[in-house]
Amino acid sequence: MKLGSVKYLVGEGVKNTWVNRLMSLASVGVLVACMVVIGLALLISENVAKAIGALEQQNVVMVYMEDYNWALYSDKTDTSSDAAVSENGEEADANGIKSSDYTIHNDEEAKALCDKIAKLDNVASVTYVSSDEGLASVKESMLEGQEEYFDFLDEEYGNPMSCAAKVTMKDMSLFSETIDKIEQMEGVDVIQSQDDLAEKITAVKNGIYVAGIWIIAILMIIALVIVSNTIRVTMYNRKLEISIMKAVGATDSFIRIPFIVEGMLIGVISALIAEGLLYFCYRVATETIISTLGTTDIVKYGDMAWILLLVFLAIGIFAGIIGSVIIISKYLRKEGSEFAAI
Amino acid sequence: MEQLLNSSEQFFQVEKPIIEFRGVSKTYPSGTHALEDVNIKINNGEFVFVVGSSGAGKSTFMKLIMREEKANTGKIIVNGFELTSMKRRDVPMLRRTMGIVFQDFRLIPTMNVFDNVAFAMHVVGASGRNVRREVSRALSKVGLGNKARSMPAQLSGGEQQRVGLARALVNSPDLIIADEPTGNVDPNMSYEIVSMLTEINKLGTTVLMVTHDHNLVRDFQHRVIMLDGGKIVADNAGGDIG
Ligand SMILES: Nc1ncnc2c1ncn2[C@@H]1O[C@H](COP(=O)(O)OP(=O)(O)O)[C@@H](O)[C@H]1O
Ligand SMILES: [Mg+2]
Repeated sequence: MKLGSVKYLVGEGVKNTWVNRLMSLASVGVLVACMVVIGLALLISENVAKAIGALEQQNVVMVYMEDYNWALYSDKTDTSSDAAVSENGEEADANGIKSSDYTIHNDEEAKALCDKIAKLDNVASVTYVSSDEGLASVKESMLEGQEEYFDFLDEEYGNPMSCAAKVTMKDMSLFSETIDKIEQMEGVDVIQSQDDLAEKITAVKNGIYVAGIWIIAILMIIALVIVSNTIRVTMYNRKLEISIMKAVGATDSFIRIPFIVEGMLIGVISALIAEGLLYFCYRVATETIISTLGTTDIVKYGDMAWILLLVFLAIGIFAGIIGSVIIISKYLRKEGSEFAAI
Repeated sequence: MEQLLNSSEQFFQVEKPIIEFRGVSKTYPSGTHALEDVNIKINNGEFVFVVGSSGAGKSTFMKLIMREEKANTGKIIVNGFELTSMKRRDVPMLRRTMGIVFQDFRLIPTMNVFDNVAFAMHVVGASGRNVRREVSRALSKVGLGNKARSMPAQLSGGEQQRVGLARALVNSPDLIIADEPTGNVDPNMSYEIVSMLTEINKLGTTVLMVTHDHNLVRDFQHRVIMLDGGKIVADNAGGDIG
């Protein structure tokens, strides 16, 4: 195909969009409406995802280790036994604890365990919490008066807190799997977690995902149907043009190009309008939300602008092309009626 | 005398027919037998009137030639193309060898006269400079050189059909196909249009024209094929009609 011909056909497509501007406008209106709703769905789900992300960050898991303090308070260790020397000749200390009674003997071993946990795929971060730090933070979270109990324990028997690893995860849907893996590690005592929160987060995320797909699919179908209908309405002029093009020997691809260009142009114009409209609506909405709720933790439009524009262009161009292809194919295939009735 | 000259001219010049029907029948899906066992040869450079009463099969005959309809049986050869075995995607190449004139003109109302004619060139891939030259030439051939910027609605029926004729001519076809081109045109204009077709024919283009107008057939001395009930009942090829 020659460049001059392509230029002419593209020009025809652009001209037709203008000549049929009433119908073009109707198509643009429908497409923009669909795009704005799809864009809103995306922005809302992005905001929900952000809020969930914040929740996930808070969903820390404490992995307590079998260290000296654990042995001190553990039922498994027989501190009442008088046997000062074990069978292998190991000596117990003043508290009656032998070095074989516990797994994590020092900070190095504790940190090694932390590193081992950190190597799991789903683990986002691991922070080592020494028993002293653990005790301090427990006391801090205690109610007035109750912290004295811990002071008493600390002074009388020694620090009741084992050292621990503070673990956060990447994907909450793999929560229990990951917990299982950590539990099987040597030196891990108990894991404190809120696994129901993890389940809820996963359920909400899946719900949003499924709903989003449905919304987008339904709107895409609506957009397609309405765009093809709009093009169908202008078909009287189109049939005339197609019949002349066929009569003078234009090939099917030549006949299609102006229509496809027209569909694409309508799609692109719609995408640009939708982007601008959504930007305006989102700004007004977020400003209201910020001033009434006081939250500032909201997704910025700027962060989503490119993705939204790309999505809109994709939807617009897809709907435009498919819409016009469906329509013209109907007239191209029809044999025997091209010159008769138009 | 003139006719004698004409036929002897044909005898010496043209052996190869531009259109040939061999045992062609066309039955529409509805069951109507529109054409039955039609055999005919039309030579290069001829001017042929196709006549007959309504429903005789004239339009079907024309549609088979442009491969708008397919024959059920028989063989049709047009301009070297074998239409019965032709693939759909090859039809545009056949169409580029012919110019089609419509009874209802078929001008695009939003385009001016020039663009309506240029449209026929652009959509078959002609380049800009050629288009300007050929469109101007075609418009002056039909006497509308001064109306290039007019819109179709501003023209009379006869003028609109002359634009249609210019559009059929602009790609220099070997064959002009016109199914009742004067059907929507007043009698004076009809004469003018057939005169123009005759001029074009004298320059070598084969013309095939369906008409109801007996005056035209009588006044322009051309070959006449008469159809009735889907059969050719008369053909004055090289002679006079019976
Ligand atoms: N597309 C069609 N489908 C069914 N029957 C048709 C069709 N076109 C024409 N016919 C029938 O075929 C016969 C010949 O029609 P046509 O070729 O149009 O005749 P004419 O042009 O001489 O009036 C008529 O009986 C007509 O009703
Ligand atoms: Mg007819």
